[in-house]
Amino acid sequence: MNSEQNNNIHNNDVNRLLDGEPVGMTVQVVRVMGDGAFRQRLLEMGFVRGAQVTVLKNAPLRDPVEYMIMGSHISLRHSEAAQIEVTDKDAQFCDMEDSFNGTVETTVAGVDPLNDNVLRIALIGNPNCGKTSLFNYVTGAKEKVGNYGGVTVDSKEGWFTIGGRRVQLVDLPGTYSLTEYSPEEMYVRTYIRDNHPDAILNIVDAGNLERNLYLTTQVMDMNIPMVIALNMWDELEKSGDKLDVEMMSRLLGARMIPLTAYNGRGVKEVLEAAMEVIDESEKETLHHNVNYGNLIEDCLKELGQMCPGLDRYTVLKIIENDQHAIQLVDGQEGGEQVKKAATEMRKRIERDYNNDITSIITDLKYGFVRGALAEVLTPNPERATGETKPGYTLDRLLTNRWLALPILLVLMWLMFEATFTLGAYPQEWIENGIGWIGEWIGQTMPEGILRDLIVDGIIGGVGGVLVFLPQILILFFFISLLEDSGYMARAAFIVDRIMHRVGLHGKSFIPYLIGFGCGVPAIMATRTLENRRDRLVTILTVPFMSCSARLPAYLLLVAAFFTANQGLILMSIYLVGIVVAAITAIVLSKTILKHDKSQFVMELPPYRQPTARNAVIHMWSKGKQYLQKMATIILAASIIVWALGYFPRHDGQTPQEQIENSYMGQMGKAIEPLVEPLGFNWQMGVSVLTGAAAKEIVVSTMGVLYTGESDLDEESTSLKEKLQSATRLDGKPVFDSIVAYSFMLFILLYFPCIAALAAIKREAGWKWVAFEVVYTTGVAWLVSFLFYQIARMLA
Amino acid sequence: MTTSTIIQTIVVLGIVAVALVYVLRRVFKTMGSKGGGDCGCGCGKNCKHRSGKEF
Repeated sequence: MNSEQNNNIHNNDVNRLLDGEPVGMTVQVVRVMGDGAFRQRLLEMGFVRGAQVTVLKNAPLRDPVEYMIMGSHISLRHSEAAQIEVTDKDAQFCDMEDSFNGTVETTVAGVDPLNDNVLRIALIGNPNCGKTSLFNYVTGAKEKVGNYGGVTVDSKEGWFTIGGRRVQLVDLPGTYSLTEYSPEEMYVRTYIRDNHPDAILNIVDAGNLERNLYLTTQVMDMNIPMVIALNMWDELEKSGDKLDVEMMSRLLGARMIPLTAYNGRGVKEVLEAAMEVIDESEKETLHHNVNYGNLIEDCLKELGQMCPGLDRYTVLKIIENDQHAIQLVDGQEGGEQVKKAATEMRKRIERDYNNDITSIITDLKYGFVRGALAEVLTPNPERATGETKPGYTLDRLLTNRWLALPILLVLMWLMFEATFTLGAYPQEWIENGIGWIGEWIGQTMPEGILRDLIVDGIIGGVGGVLVFLPQILILFFFISLLEDSGYMARAAFIVDRIMHRVGLHGKSFIPYLIGFGCGVPAIMATRTLENRRDRLVTILTVPFMSCSARLPAYLLLVAAFFTANQGLILMSIYLVGIVVAAITAIVLSKTILKHDKSQFVMELPPYRQPTARNAVIHMWSKGKQYLQKMATIILAASIIVWALGYFPRHDGQTPQEQIENSYMGQMGKAIEPLVEPLGFNWQMGVSVLTGAAAKEIVVSTMGVLYTGESDLDEESTSLKEKLQSATRLDGKPVFDSIVAYSFMLFILLYFPCIAALAAIKREAGWKWVAFEVVYTTGVAWLVSFLFYQIARMLA
Repeated sequence: MTTSTIIQTIVVLGIVAVALVYVLRRVFKTMGSKGGGDCGCGCGKNCKHRSGKEF
């Protein structure tokens, strides 16, 4: 970059930095300063020369700032916006007059689509453009979708049948580009290179074509048969914009089909078009590529002849000095000449355009997209700015400087309160049903070991967890509504400054969000973080986000020992988890995982009306997982816990003495000194140990141990009532609200389940698994200890 | 000990043994897993059993 480029503007303004622009101002991008991945990401997201940017608002904590560019809402921190040089919106760039050169054609030899016995179509598109919605619709899968980018982190494979032919559909992570700067970009690029899909289904957001088609221009250069699906077509129609699909298809040289993936409108047509292009690829075909102008086209031709095995995309990448593309010729015959020629070409192009190669290519691609859209897209004349987009008025309230944080807390409280109050009725029905079954079996079956196993082990253990199914369903229904509406991404915007302050990367928000459901996919979702230290900090703190498996324990204890403000108590547990995660992140990022703060640009998805169908599907999927777990690991663990609490048998002992002297009792007594300072008895101690297999087992263990303690002729009561009436040997109650809260804190913070530890092992290695187990358990013990001792002193 | 008690004890110990093997297998399988997705058909792995829709 040099300052000469800035002189190519017909205006009298001195160039400013985007950071200093006031809210409401619209300016034009002159250049993005700096280098590396962040600059590349900004360019790809549309911060190219001449693009108009509007400053929409500051986040409640003054940082980050929301900008609108190419119809997308982008969140940038002040320090990041300070790297973008801007000028007056009416300024004319004299070097941008001829950036649309149409396309050039390349002849591609025919291939046999069944050469590897599988017909394979890959889904490619920007984050949050609806790829997984289409994938789920076509394959019948139930992969997670959300109204924010970064949900899909690796490829998902599914199948469908069309015209009697079985086809594999591959859902790839969303990406803005196919460069080498971020893990998702490299993943998609490597997948295409190694797996050679027979066709690419490029999903673009019809309401945001300019930004979405940038990726399309890169796929076009790969010369793979492609169909472009214009997803969210219904939103384009509602907006009043008009798109000439036929003409656009001709301009890009690829079939374009309108699609509304969530309701299946256009799906069949899209798949049929994909099959047609696969069939056509058997013979020699003409592919359209972006015309970069005479100089670059000559270079591409010359270098392409020097490395005949490589496609146009890779050749261009070699000129762009892309290290992964260069590796393909490194060590090959003539590789050194190719590298030398590419370097000379790059210098020639940069000299001629008076810019760096990355900006030149990005500008030309965006120039091509803008030129094409100018021919085919007629914006609704009544829609002057993005401010009339649905949800904007609501957005001003939800992200208001003074109201945003209170609204976030009230919404959380409402969710937890509804979980309690609405869930109480079906919970009681299930509880009564389980109690009746236990009683009936107890009365019908002859006395003996088998009856004890069924009543105390299976019904006591699994039944204790099963009763919380309604609350799990209700909580996930609300989470689904918040996710689908686009509010969750706004929550990230609201708290971004705090996350930055504690040393967390902006991208960490998505794993944290997923972590409230389950830690395993959350840990996997950290793959989108480029920096290993950022990843490690996120991986090690994700388990503090309370997963849904811990919820039954909270619900049981809150319902049993807190009569008022139950929703608030539950919410406080989640908030403690967030605070401990923040403190851990500060400590780690300032000590063993010290590193420079990474930059991050986040796209804010549009607000969408959540559908009951999606919420119910999400809820049911979670409910099914919960039931599956109950029929497998929780059932097996309950049986083992029962056996350890049942044997060895001693004649003439009361049920309580029997369980105290059992194997489980002996184990519990051994660890009791460790948990006694926290207010726990030995039953609670072994419950947290067995919870290592799955956190729901904490409750099922309590169910088994406390059911076993009661005489069968006692009136059958629920686990909640048993805990309320449980006494120590000295006659004092085992539980009160202080012990219950201390126990909940321990369950929240201590080491994650085996599945989460396995995920940490896969992503970070054994060393970090050991660290996580020791650290989380130490933190859990310390926090519970401090809470219990201080609360006892004050009580 | 009656015959019924003996049979019941054998059955219960059998069930406990199966449960123990299941939990241990699951723990070792999880820790040794190399990751990969769940195909969603209910089998718990990426088995490609799911047939998908027909168009």
